[in-house]
Amino acid sequence: MARGPHLPSRMCGMEEGAAYGRSGDYMNKKLAIRNNGMVWIIPAFLFLLIIIYYSIIYTFNLSTMDWDGLSPTMKKVGLDNYSKMFADKVFWKAIKNTVVYFAITFVVQNLLGFVFAAILHSEVKLPTVHKCIIFIPTILAPATMAPVFRLMFSPQGMLQHFMDFAHIPITVDWLSRPQTALYVLMAIVVWEFTGMSFILYYAAMSQIDKEMLEAAQIDGAGNIRTLITMVFPLCKGTTVSLAMLGVIGALKTFDIPYLITTGGPDHATEFLGTYIYRQGIRQSHLGYAAALSVMLLVMAVVGAFLTNKANKEGG
Amino acid sequence: MKRHISLLLALLTAASMILSACAGSAAPAVPAGEAAASSEGGSGAELVWWGWTPGSPLNEQYIAEFNKEFPDTKITWKQTTVDDYDAAIKPALANGEGVDIFEVSAGSANGGVGIFGGQAVNMEDALKGYLGDDYADKLNEASIASMTVDGELKALGVGTVYAGNLWINQDLFDKYNVKVPTNFDEWKAACDTFKENGIIGFVQGAGQGAFNMDTYHAICDNIQPGLFTKATRGEAEWTDPVFVQALDLWKKLFDEGIMQDGALGIQQYPEANNMFLSGQAAMVMMGSWYTMNCLPDTMRANMEAASSTDEPFAMVPINFPDIAGTGNTGYVFCDIDYATAVSTNASDVKAATDFALWLGASEAGQQMIADSLNLVPVLKSVSPNWDKVVLTNPEKQNKPVQEYLTNAMANPDNPRFGGISADLNQAMMDVLAGVASGTLSSADGAARLAEVE
Repeated sequence: MARGPHLPSRMCGMEEGAAYGRSGDYMNKKLAIRNNGMVWIIPAFLFLLIIIYYSIIYTFNLSTMDWDGLSPTMKKVGLDNYSKMFADKVFWKAIKNTVVYFAITFVVQNLLGFVFAAILHSEVKLPTVHKCIIFIPTILAPATMAPVFRLMFSPQGMLQHFMDFAHIPITVDWLSRPQTALYVLMAIVVWEFTGMSFILYYAAMSQIDKEMLEAAQIDGAGNIRTLITMVFPLCKGTTVSLAMLGVIGALKTFDIPYLITTGGPDHATEFLGTYIYRQGIRQSHLGYAAALSVMLLVMAVVGAFLTNKANKEGG
Repeated sequence: MKRHISLLLALLTAASMILSACAGSAAPAVPAGEAAASSEGGSGAELVWWGWTPGSPLNEQYIAEFNKEFPDTKITWKQTTVDDYDAAIKPALANGEGVDIFEVSAGSANGGVGIFGGQAVNMEDALKGYLGDDYADKLNEASIASMTVDGELKALGVGTVYAGNLWINQDLFDKYNVKVPTNFDEWKAACDTFKENGIIGFVQGAGQGAFNMDTYHAICDNIQPGLFTKATRGEAEWTDPVFVQALDLWKKLFDEGIMQDGALGIQQYPEANNMFLSGQAAMVMMGSWYTMNCLPDTMRANMEAASSTDEPFAMVPINFPDIAGTGNTGYVFCDIDYATAVSTNASDVKAATDFALWLGASEAGQQMIADSLNLVPVLKSVSPNWDKVVLTNPEKQNKPVQEYLTNAMANPDNPRFGGISADLNQAMMDVLAGVASGTLSSADGAARLAEVE
């Protein structure tokens, strides 16, 4: 619970306040509220109430309706949208895609980010240039990069030209194949967000006491062993933060799959975000889209909770 | 502690009441009839027109022409992309302000009148007053039928689009001495010849489902004309062998190399369009809206947008090849491309209605539509002024383009998306992608279409 500013002890507590009579009671009540911190959290609480909690309650209410978004009447359907969701193959495909996407992008992205951060903490030439090169993809808007990637990974694109030039007999039609499209998207995401992992690991490594690392090396630990047994555990907080961000990010993935594959082919790159948009906007099933959104929220909260719990249990 | 809980509950209650009061109502603020009756139509009206097509600067040119007759009405064109339109207009209409005139289309396409028509005034009386009691005889049938929802005319069609044909780069066909395809074997032979010369024969952005539906519809009409439309109306079963055969033929286009490699990974716009306009591909599945590219200036601008600095070439429309070997060719399907609706919350319903009538029912407005070659006008008395309209290569283009438009307008009742619900639309896009990629059999695909309520 948030605490208010420290008040002199004689101004707090009902016991002392009772001695002040009627006007003293009033003052004590007022001060008790202030001491409890309510006054101080009200602005933020109201903001949260309006922006977050009201929206959540509204969305949950909407999830029990059948509504197209504009019709003057909403039809109450109870939990039918949830039953429909659990029987919906596309919903389960989106969940499976999300799990695979998180597992692979989290490992690859953070491994690369960690390695790059470690390399740039050693004595490399032109470190600033390298940092910029690694980080630039993170600041590029997916909307501007999407057409580039669509063309790059098509048989008429740059990658195919390279394959042809190098006489490698591979047709770059990976985005058009349900078996490979998701992996292409994951490669794009890794390319785009490795810079974020890198910058966080780089900052975390800057906090490590150099004397500890020197002591390990005096004890005979090589660079790789120092990195694995000393540096990586000391960056655990960063890894947990990245895991939490990764879980939430994977659950709300929208822009890259929507802009590059629109969730296809045949829902092979469908995520909850794209499916919610498809149901809510394209097909005007606002109630069903709301039910999917509620499920997304539940999964995000559970994911964040489990990540946090795993962190605490791990010491 | 109890006091704190009481305080918290009081705050929550107050906040909920405030929020409830602020929340937008789902119901329109003014019923259509009342809105029309309360319209002022006075001078100095300032209106906002929302839409996605045809885009600047054409929309501004329409407004400028309209202002020659109605100088006191100021209209601002607000454009979104096709894909973003539904997402943008839905909250704008629900909000009830800032939208006076908006574009809608038939069926399940973006801006579907079935969804958004509820926010539009009934225009039947206004149209009757403008064109007379026989207004229906003067307009394309689809402009009335597809824009009528629950017995009310919710929008005025501006022009129709026809699809179901191919466009070819005639200059490339002439250069490589390739026969224009009329059946499956010729189509494949043409694609092979172009491929040998480093050119894509036929290009389709099969990652964008609407154009796949055009191709599938064309195949169905090739096998048995009209059955597709019957199925959309519930008069035929999607499990009919015709639809399974059509899915087999659709798959064959991919397996036999008529569809370019990786077709499912690219979009019709911009990729396929750019490949055709930049001369990288010789054939593309596009409809009558592509006719505007026969105008040299329009084509040059669109070629530049496709990163091509070449000179405009002669593109001509051809019938969808007879790939089923039935002899049924030349069928196209049509929809109102877009129609103009007047919001029930328009700041000046009369002025907004004047604009919709001018664009969709006046000789002046419809002549502009006709001469742009972007759409076929809905007013039957208007057609492109071929004395003024000069194509890139009149010798190669005039005859096929004029024949194409004449044939298209004479085609029987065969809606493009007009009869397709949003759910069927999505299911069909899924099935076509699944069959093309081999994750779904044709029979299973047809069964999945039949499952849509």
